Amino acid sequence: MNIIEIKNLKKDYPLGKTIVPALRGVDLEVAEGEFMSIIGPSGSGKTTLLNVIGCIDQATAGSVKIAGSEITALDDRAVTDIRLHKIGFIFQTFNLIPVLDVLENIEFPLLLMKRPAAEARKRAEKLAAEVGLSEYVRHRPAELSGGQRQRVAIARALVTGPDIVLADEPTANLDSVTGASILELMREMNEVEKTTFVFSTHDAAVLKYARRIVRIKDGLIEKEPVAA
Amino acid sequence: MELLIRLSLRNLLRQKRRNLLLGSAMAIGVAILVTAGSFSAGISDIMFNRIMRYVTGHVSVRFNERGGVMREIFRDGERARAALQGVPGVEKAEEGVGYFMRAIGNGKSDNIILVGANMSAELSDKERREIEESFRVVEGSWEGARDSKAENPIIISAEKARYLNVTLGDTVRVRFRDMFGQDQAARLTVAGVMRNDNIFMQPVVFLERERAKALLGYRPWETASFSLTLSDPKRGARAVADAIHARLKPGLASMEASVNGRKTALFGVKSDAASREALAARLKLSPAVLEAALRRDGALLDARTARALGVRQGEEFRASWARKFEPGLGETRLKAAAIFSGEGPGGVLVNDGKFYAAYYRDLPAAGAAPAPGWEALLAPEWTLLPRTYTTDDYKKKYQEIARSRGKGTTADVSTMYETASDILKLEGVLNLITLSAVLVLFFIILLGVVNTLRMTIRERTKEIGTVRAIGMRAEDVRNTFLLETFFLTLFSSAAGVALGFLAMSLISVPEFHPQDNPLGMLLVNGRVYFLTTFWNTAGSVLLIMGIALATAWFPARRAAAMSPAQALRHYD
Ligand SMILES: Nc1ncnc2c1ncn2[C@@H]1O[C@H](COP(=O)(O)OP(=O)(O)O)[C@@H](O)[C@H]1O
Ligand SMILES: [Mg+2]
Repeated sequence: MNIIEIKNLKKDYPLGKTIVPALRGVDLEVAEGEFMSIIGPSGSGKTTLLNVIGCIDQATAGSVKIAGSEITALDDRAVTDIRLHKIGFIFQTFNLIPVLDVLENIEFPLLLMKRPAAEARKRAEKLAAEVGLSEYVRHRPAELSGGQRQRVAIARALVTGPDIVLADEPTANLDSVTGASILELMREMNEVEKTTFVFSTHDAAVLKYARRIVRIKDGLIEKEPVAA
Repeated sequence: MELLIRLSLRNLLRQKRRNLLLGSAMAIGVAILVTAGSFSAGISDIMFNRIMRYVTGHVSVRFNERGGVMREIFRDGERARAALQGVPGVEKAEEGVGYFMRAIGNGKSDNIILVGANMSAELSDKERREIEESFRVVEGSWEGARDSKAENPIIISAEKARYLNVTLGDTVRVRFRDMFGQDQAARLTVAGVMRNDNIFMQPVVFLERERAKALLGYRPWETASFSLTLSDPKRGARAVADAIHARLKPGLASMEASVNGRKTALFGVKSDAASREALAARLKLSPAVLEAALRRDGALLDARTARALGVRQGEEFRASWARKFEPGLGETRLKAAAIFSGEGPGGVLVNDGKFYAAYYRDLPAAGAAPAPGWEALLAPEWTLLPRTYTTDDYKKKYQEIARSRGKGTTADVSTMYETASDILKLEGVLNLITLSAVLVLFFIILLGVVNTLRMTIRERTKEIGTVRAIGMRAEDVRNTFLLETFFLTLFSSAAGVALGFLAMSLISVPEFHPQDNPLGMLLVNGRVYFLTTFWNTAGSVLLIMGIALATAWFPARRAAAMSPAQALRHYD
């Protein structure tokens, strides 16, 4: 079953009096449990595509189905609920909440879901252990390295048990060794938790971790070569 | 909610300097509000509860005989007291006796106001303490003024004592014209000297009330005006005044008298033009004849009464009656000026001036009823003045009485808020000052909160995008910012209240004793006085919080309405 189905997706940004076409008719299907990479040069539309899939930006035209339901016509509240329950985000700049410590950051989405505090705490501790941060649970983001922060972000993205985790250039702010370990962690989680991962990159070096690669250029998906 | 509270509290600590600055401004604002509010409440407390209360009472029931300002007398004390008895909300009804006189000390003379003081044993400890606090006796004692063997023992202000060159034990002679126009002289003995910061209290000389009354010519059954103390003057004064006013409705003044050994009734005829005209019409007399008949001792009788009493036209006769408060008979001389043939009220009719003179001098033991339908034209026991609710109307009322030269005793009931609405205006001015302070604060807070929030929101744009992407609802983002402002104001207000209390206790440390400055009135025991009420304090805090939250609302809502994708793209 396809967890993501995109048909003829278009996204225009108004820029002054002109319009920037960021996505110009994207068709894409992602099956459940995939570990997929979107690669393309800077400005090709990766972020825009992930944002639309992640329900944080609206499509100009076309259809986007997440787990079978159309999301392009939903109001802000419904879309917010989808983000909370079905999607996990990992950002290039980590985007942790600086006033919360590691555990609090990880359990944050659970508390938004109004899960009991004790249950949320337990689950956060489990994920902190899985990403190898058991010893740092009381640290604030400012006291962690970039790699450690991204691990927290991965734990936070997975804590709710989402259908899809979207990662927008998750390694771009990390050195290559750390970046590799993050991608390995993501792949491990993909295998353990059976969560669908879609991550973008502009760096061909990270592609070896991907099970499926989609190339994007100027707002269009290049035809996928049939997997070897 | 708990999550939002945790977030907002931690965020508050993040920009310590900025929030400390804004918080201090708000704290100072609250401190100013609390202090100013307490000061203005203190002034009105002093005015109404410590000054006006002694001058007029919360509610004053005032009697004036023959429109005389100094002639504050009501002849039937029992009736007056009965009207005041058991009115809900009245704590105490004090008879107020005060009189201007000329005092001669040792080689010097000056004007004083002799005030009757209640020194009876029935005063509660609290009342005694309040009096002794307001009028501190520094030489001699209040006990000395209670001494029944001394000749008119008085408590005099230090300033007056100095001016009259008298000290403890000295005699002060006084000369005055009493209520009834008689010149009088008396000797007072200085039993105590008091110190008081209120310049208006300096001419006051206290004498035990019953003695003061006797000195001024009151007979034991007569009373002066009353000052009422209420348990809750602010809310209750008007209702109490209205209730007493209703109870003071006068009946018809009449006497059961005897003429030539035969029983009859004696009535006064109202002297206003309308009543006289109506009476002339009903008796079928020409107005001129009626006026002539009712001049001075002139009496008007219907033919049947005249025949029954054996009185002929033009004849002089005496009417006498049993007295209510003394044994023996009251008596007046009359002349049968006109005898008319039709039906009248029955009995002997005289003009109200003549009637009241006899009636008030010797209140009758029994009254008499006129024939039905005549009451409106006959003199009432006293004239009850209509209630007035502003100082202007009150003044107008008294001007009218002075002009109409009323013959009967007037009774008036008014609250201190009505007679002294000028003081309420002073309170209003103070409140206006406070209000302008509020307005200035309002703008400071407005600018402070809006500016701080805008900076904060700009700095946290990406964070807003993150929490929105993770699944926080827009209204929760807004609420986080509102909570942040709420806590900032809450802590600032608490600090501000503490600061205000500190300021007030510091301001009221130094003691002043201005001798000739009316501002001395505003002091209690020589200190600046603040009256802090829960609602004043809570109100100031709520006001500041309300302003802050109202100003925070719009930037907070704008932050919440940002598109998450846009917010995430933001770089500082
Ligand atoms: N908010 C925006 N307003 C106008 N143009 C935008 C906006 N966001 C992105 N774009 C444009 O859309 C195109 C795609 O951008 P983006 O999705 O960020 O690409 P990538 O993530 O691959 O670098 C770019 O040309 C970019 O300049
Ligand atoms: Mg990008």
